[in-house]
Amino acid sequence: METPKAHSIVLIIAKYSFADEVRQKSMIVMFMISALFVFLLRECYQGDYMVNGQALSADAIAWTLSKVIFHVIAAGAMFIAALLTMRVFKRDREEGMLSCILAKPIDRWQYVAGKILGLWALSVLFMFILHGIVFFIASLSMKTLVPAYLVASLLCSINLLFVVLAVFLLSLMLPDIAAFLCAVGIGLASLAANSIYALSQSQMGQAMMQQSSEQASSGFTGWKAVYYLWPNLFGTQQSAATLIGNDGGVPVYPLMNVLFYCLILGVLLFLRFRNEEIV
Amino acid sequence: MIELHEVTKRYGSLTAVDRISFSVAKGEYFSLLGPNGAGKTTIVKMLLDFTRPTSGTLSVNGLSSKDPACRTAVGYLAENPRIPPNLTGWQYLHRCAELLGMRRSEATEQSGKIVELIGMKGREHTKASTYSRGMIQRFGLGAALTGNPKLLILDEPTSGLDPIGIREIRQLLESLKHQGMTILLNSHLLSEVEKICDTAAIINSGKLLLKDSISSIIKDGETLEDVFVRLVKG
Repeated sequence: METPKAHSIVLIIAKYSFADEVRQKSMIVMFMISALFVFLLRECYQGDYMVNGQALSADAIAWTLSKVIFHVIAAGAMFIAALLTMRVFKRDREEGMLSCILAKPIDRWQYVAGKILGLWALSVLFMFILHGIVFFIASLSMKTLVPAYLVASLLCSINLLFVVLAVFLLSLMLPDIAAFLCAVGIGLASLAANSIYALSQSQMGQAMMQQSSEQASSGFTGWKAVYYLWPNLFGTQQSAATLIGNDGGVPVYPLMNVLFYCLILGVLLFLRFRNEEIV
Repeated sequence: MIELHEVTKRYGSLTAVDRISFSVAKGEYFSLLGPNGAGKTTIVKMLLDFTRPTSGTLSVNGLSSKDPACRTAVGYLAENPRIPPNLTGWQYLHRCAELLGMRRSEATEQSGKIVELIGMKGREHTKASTYSRGMIQRFGLGAALTGNPKLLILDEPTSGLDPIGIREIRQLLESLKHQGMTILLNSHLLSEVEKICDTAAIINSGKLLLKDSISSIIKDGETLEDVFVRLVKG
């Protein structure tokens, strides 16, 4: 028997974490419902849409729908990643796998890294398959392939890494459901900050700020600060979505922001787990 | 093989282990005895780095217990072993073997041998959710024996087993001892300990009361149980 290399142990733990989640009935049900929902959306591509009395072209409909669905799937995948992650440590503890693994010559960081990798890979695959279904529907509808759609999906995987890390860390300190709700709260706050930031950048928003009171202006400034300092999950989604329609350059700031938070959360998670009592 | 030096573990104001020192030599069959809450499981957890001592040092295989490498060739059976209910016993053993760095084929071969060794042939492919406590105990012991360990740490290995199962496990442990394996046993079954162990340490309220060979502990027609009760009751 050879001494296992650190990375091979991480991969084995990741493989088993992935397999354990796939075996869960709730995971299969969630995936089937999501895939069915996305598949049913193909009907939307065949509808006639009127704006200000003018019929929209099939291409415009397809582009717009693809983008909207892209955001819905990316947000839904974050939700599902949080649901999958919230019980992992507790289940390993209750089912005896945690003590079984750590009684072997396996370092705690290897265990945590394996868990992160397994859950992240599963969440990314989940999202990628759903985006893939939309990609095929949109490609058939527009009679052209848009590979950027899949690239954008992969870019959104940074958000899933953030969610997995955040829920893992929070689940060590809070009840599972509270960890899940905190992650959802972070996502919602990011959505609000992005929406208000986008409004403040629009012509309408600029006009409102010029005419409104000082209090309203400082409110906008406050949300701008949240936009820059808060984990910019929705901004990352928007950055990725710019690839789909070739809407100019990809804004890098939100990606850097989320990557920075991933780094911080990762360090905190490893430090926290290093001192965790194993029961 | 195992060394504890002035080890203390406190949980808030409670002292679970109080300045305990002892060592277990290679090939020794050592038993840790004590009433419930004496600190036996805490010592085992510190040896496996599941919890850190408040003060003092522990070493396994000549390395600090904080170093995961010290757990190379160490098998561990928990007090209440559990197996994920959606796995079969065989899948569980196979997983344990792979986690020790064995290749798939090696792990398959090893799991087959272990299944025979623990007497679970024929039941290895059913889900763990259908297993009795005794069967889970056997698979837990099987997991501890995976990878041919040199040191076995067993926390109540016969818990949940019927008398025949207890005898089979005792015979298995005796044969392992004859193969030169070092065994640290936590047990309440004093008659079993008396039959098979070389050395015993008795602890109570976190303090080491006695550590000696079984032959030196038992004198003048006393049983180990008599000595244990006398020491624990003060």
